[in-house]
Amino acid sequence: MTSPAVSENEPRPFVEVALPYALVAPAVLVALAIAVVPLLYALWLSFQDWYLLRNPQPVWGGLINYEALFADAGLWRAFWRTWIWTIGTVAVEIALALPLALLLNRDTAIARMASALILLPWVMPFIVLGYGWRFLLDSEVGALHSVFQFFGFAGNSSILNDPNMALAIIIFISGWKGMPFMVLALLAALKSIPGELYEAAAIDGASPWQRFTSITLPSIQNTMLIIGLVLGILAFYSFDLPWIMTRGGPQDATTILGISMYKAVFTDLRPAYAAAISVVMLVILAIASFLSLQLRRR
Amino acid sequence: MMHDSDNRLRNAALDALTIALLILVLSPIIWVFIASIRPDADIMTRGLIPARVTFDHFANIFSRGDFLVALRNSLVVGGIVAICTVVIAVPAAYSLSRFTYMGRDFIGFLILATQMLPAVAVLVPIVVIIRSLGLANTLTALTFTHLALGLPIAVWMLKGYIDAVPRELEEASIIDGSSQIGAMFRITLPLIRPAVVAVGTFAFVLSWGEFILALALITSAEVKTLPLALQTLFDPYSFSWGVVMAGGVVIALPTIVLFLLFRNQLVGGLTAGGIKG
Repeated sequence: MTSPAVSENEPRPFVEVALPYALVAPAVLVALAIAVVPLLYALWLSFQDWYLLRNPQPVWGGLINYEALFADAGLWRAFWRTWIWTIGTVAVEIALALPLALLLNRDTAIARMASALILLPWVMPFIVLGYGWRFLLDSEVGALHSVFQFFGFAGNSSILNDPNMALAIIIFISGWKGMPFMVLALLAALKSIPGELYEAAAIDGASPWQRFTSITLPSIQNTMLIIGLVLGILAFYSFDLPWIMTRGGPQDATTILGISMYKAVFTDLRPAYAAAISVVMLVILAIASFLSLQLRRR
Repeated sequence: MMHDSDNRLRNAALDALTIALLILVLSPIIWVFIASIRPDADIMTRGLIPARVTFDHFANIFSRGDFLVALRNSLVVGGIVAICTVVIAVPAAYSLSRFTYMGRDFIGFLILATQMLPAVAVLVPIVVIIRSLGLANTLTALTFTHLALGLPIAVWMLKGYIDAVPRELEEASIIDGSSQIGAMFRITLPLIRPAVVAVGTFAFVLSWGEFILALALITSAEVKTLPLALQTLFDPYSFSWGVVMAGGVVIALPTIVLFLLFRNQLVGGLTAGGIKG
């Protein structure tokens, strides 16, 4: 294909056939080493009996990890909590991103500057934002703690120590952190709406609200759905934020599946059981990815 | 239709609202920066406007050996990851863009699919494999795993840029006697240089802030990276919020600067990656 001088019938020299493969090979090797091999290994590991306190080497265990997993009430709670976390995070992302995107979809210097700066929560490392929010919510020095205290949401102890409030507040922070990605996607969708639609609607005497619900919303809802799904998959696998902020506590209130899995390896020393949790999470990811591909084709 | 002056007034009002919302949304970040330059005694007062400014917190962290070691480790790992990402991604993108061959679409899909694979999902097998290779607590392990963070986006972003370079430019060079690879180096690479710099930067930034792999693979102080060092600043029984926030600023600043510099390239690549993934 690359050298037009060679006719299709003539066999091409080996070097030429091999060149594209050789160029792409290192990237494929990285993909295999970091993704494919670990996935297959996780699958194999999930059928092993490997509890470091009892047997230091994995032995075939059949379905024991999966049986244990389905019988684990704490893990079930983490499972349902992960759905609350995922849906909540995406809901916050949309709720924050929609008004911001509408505001930033104007061609003024301020709007351009703001659409650059709005990316900051997304760009900054979790560790910095996690400690920043902990600082804001700290019961001794936190400014936000005083606000919560004033409105009666927090007593003398930080809201992060309250099992009823911790999950909600970290879901909000998670949505805040992921929101810029949704803003970017919505801005792109908003820019592609033809201006004539609004002019025609204005001539017909449509109110701003009517223009929003009959033109803007239908034009961006597909983007919202697809990006929501992508962000949902990311949220489902969260670990950094809840770990940095609460280590899954108080009383497991913020323990989502990523945290359960991490603790299964590093606290309970049960790598095979943790691998089984990963496999279950991957099956859910596969279903969600398939769903998102179907949506995109539509 | 609205008059120009109405329009200007409306935009001014919306601009004011934009600024107000922006400050509100970014206030947690602004707070980190303010706290990092405030004496600890003032931090206790919780007010927004700093009455006194101090750089003691920065002097404090930069006098700590463990933080400096972590800074060096993060620079080394991030730098090697950035270089390796570019060295691996450029030929891969070139191959996917310029050649037609059996299995090309599958290979492209395989590389892209790794992008959607969250680190949490493969954490257990990676930790077990790396330990059995005897590489736990090494920067090598961290470098290698971090390579996977930005590589797929890098490949797909560069492929987009190479697709946009007209093939005729290379063909002219090949007729003049240069090889295909020579044409890539002489013609295409210089044209996509901004994208190459952007993906290298991006790979660096991802490695710089990466947390869970570092947490799972690294325990000894001499190989800790900055996110782990920040935890160390915080964890002991006595700590200063000012110092922790100054540490946060040191970690955040390069990320912010590099991102704002390469924003256009990165946003394009990321939305494309996210939408394709």
